[in-house]
Amino acid sequence: MTIATLFALLFGGIFLGMPIAFALGFSSVTTILLFSSDSLGSVAIKLFEALSHHYTLLAIPFFILSSTFLSTGGVARRLITFATDAIGHVRGGLAMASVLACMLFAAVSGSSPATVAAIGSIVIAGMVRQGYTESFAAGVITNAGTLGILIPPSIVMLVYSAATEVSAAKMFMAGLIPGLLMGGILMVAIYIAARIKKLPAQPFPGVRVLARSGLIAMGGLMLIFIVLGSIYGGVASPTEAAAVATVYAWFIAVVGYRDMGPLKNVPWRKGNEAWGSAGLRALWQVPAGLLGSFTDQEVKKVVLDGARVSMMLLFIIANAMLFAHVLTTERIPHTIAETIIGWGLPAWGFLIVMNLLLLAAGNFMEPSAILLIMAPILFPIATQLGIDPIHLGIIMVVNMEIGMLTPPVGLNLFVTAGITGKPMTWVIRAALPWLSLLLLFLVLITYVPAISLFLPNWLSS
Amino acid sequence: MALRWLHKAEETLFSLLLVAMVLLVFVEVVLRFVFNTGISWSQEATLYLAGWFVLIGVSWGVKQGAHIGVDVVVKMLPMLWQRVATLLALAICMAYCVMLLVGSYEYLSLMKMIGIELEDIAIPKWYALTILPIAMLLLMLRFAVLGWKVIRGDASGFGFHDEGEDSMHLVQSDAPDGQDNGDAGRDSDQGTPR
Repeated sequence: MTIATLFALLFGGIFLGMPIAFALGFSSVTTILLFSSDSLGSVAIKLFEALSHHYTLLAIPFFILSSTFLSTGGVARRLITFATDAIGHVRGGLAMASVLACMLFAAVSGSSPATVAAIGSIVIAGMVRQGYTESFAAGVITNAGTLGILIPPSIVMLVYSAATEVSAAKMFMAGLIPGLLMGGILMVAIYIAARIKKLPAQPFPGVRVLARSGLIAMGGLMLIFIVLGSIYGGVASPTEAAAVATVYAWFIAVVGYRDMGPLKNVPWRKGNEAWGSAGLRALWQVPAGLLGSFTDQEVKKVVLDGARVSMMLLFIIANAMLFAHVLTTERIPHTIAETIIGWGLPAWGFLIVMNLLLLAAGNFMEPSAILLIMAPILFPIATQLGIDPIHLGIIMVVNMEIGMLTPPVGLNLFVTAGITGKPMTWVIRAALPWLSLLLLFLVLITYVPAISLFLPNWLSS
Repeated sequence: MALRWLHKAEETLFSLLLVAMVLLVFVEVVLRFVFNTGISWSQEATLYLAGWFVLIGVSWGVKQGAHIGVDVVVKMLPMLWQRVATLLALAICMAYCVMLLVGSYEYLSLMKMIGIELEDIAIPKWYALTILPIAMLLLMLRFAVLGWKVIRGDASGFGFHDEGEDSMHLVQSDAPDGQDNGDAGRDSDQGTPR
């Protein structure tokens, strides 16, 4: 009865078009009032404490803000130049370079649709000019863009650890090898396709050019090293690493790359300006630029964007914690777990059912919302079946990646349709061959836990 | 007019809170690594700032159409029924706010009666919690405004935020000289609920 009320109210609310946060909150509060002896006062304070008693959760607004600083077209272009210089000379190199650029941008920005938009809008046209078919180019990018939520630092992983209390640092360790593996699989597939289709290679630009573009790209990529280095090394918590990353991202965007803020269009060195005078100019321009960015319209807009996304996500999380509280006090996951174990369903069978369930949900809802609703239910069941919580998290994230490629709510499909100007059906067909690789990858991740667990186990031993 | 002023004030306030949170944690890290000290109240302060940050933002998000939701089902209904569904959804949202308003009032009066302070900061705990009822009142105001718009036919739903659409501003026209035309792809203003 309790289960029925809770879920009827939740899904009724969601499909009525309520914001997910309110649907979660309303169904939980009503269930608490009807079926338990908790007072409204205790519910209200639980909501507030969900927001103000979880230090790890603060990593979410910080990472979102740091990624909005670096999710600019300028950063995307620098990463593409670097990736093309590095592997463009291999057969099918431009496509492989695009995948590499997607992986790098994904790690910096943490968002899949942003990756497709920023990288795709440049490289798809570029590949077509080089003689690739447009559907090949669009398919590769739509898929490679999903790596945004798998390669750490990733917001979706932070949401998973908020929902399950699994260590966010461990999730960040676990995501690295799967992310690199998926990128590798895509590149190998492109290489094979390039051999068969006789796709072009580009001339190698020379070591000097590569070193130069590498150095420029490093400004943004340092963010990954700062974050992952400090977390893997165990010197900082994800929240602290995220705060440092935000300040660094602001510094690079305003002073280093000068993509926004008062120093925009002011070069480090004008034409043939002497190094000395450029240095002198920087001496007063850099502090002035940093101070000026506090009143700059563009910088303010970035902060506002970052704030908007984080507030909405954190409010969903707070309400999802009420929801999780109802689930645990009513022992709902426990009941479901006992039923499932009663059926004699083995762990691998449960994983199949879970994957199907998540893939279906991925068609309708946004990754974070799905994780917040499903993780508290699936997590206790998986633990009882002996599935590692971190491994479970990675499986869920890969499922969410696939959800971005399936209609009607496949964000990446939408973005690719937007940049190519083609209809959705065309994009779906273009993405399909690569999507099947992603499905194979899901099977691999699901049944070979070592891929996800090797790094966290090795680093913590 | 007053509503527009409120909107702007909320925007400034939560942006400042976010910046303050980042800087607090950043300074704390620098102090720990470089100077080997720390600020005793920094963690608690950051956490309460986070609470205020989100609660100020939720009502702003209703006006801005920034909340996340599923509208594929509602969008399939004929216009009249879309508006009816939205009004029903708004009524439920209102109910949620009322319940939490009552709850926060209960808890706040309890805290005020006991008179305890925060752990690391010497201010009464109920001060720090006042944002909860305020946020619920602001939310009810925003829901009422949206409801009025739906009744008049100016809006048919919550106007959910679309991350895909949002990313489209990163689309660049493929200029060979690498000039940034970053905003060329922005196709819709998100200022008003659609």
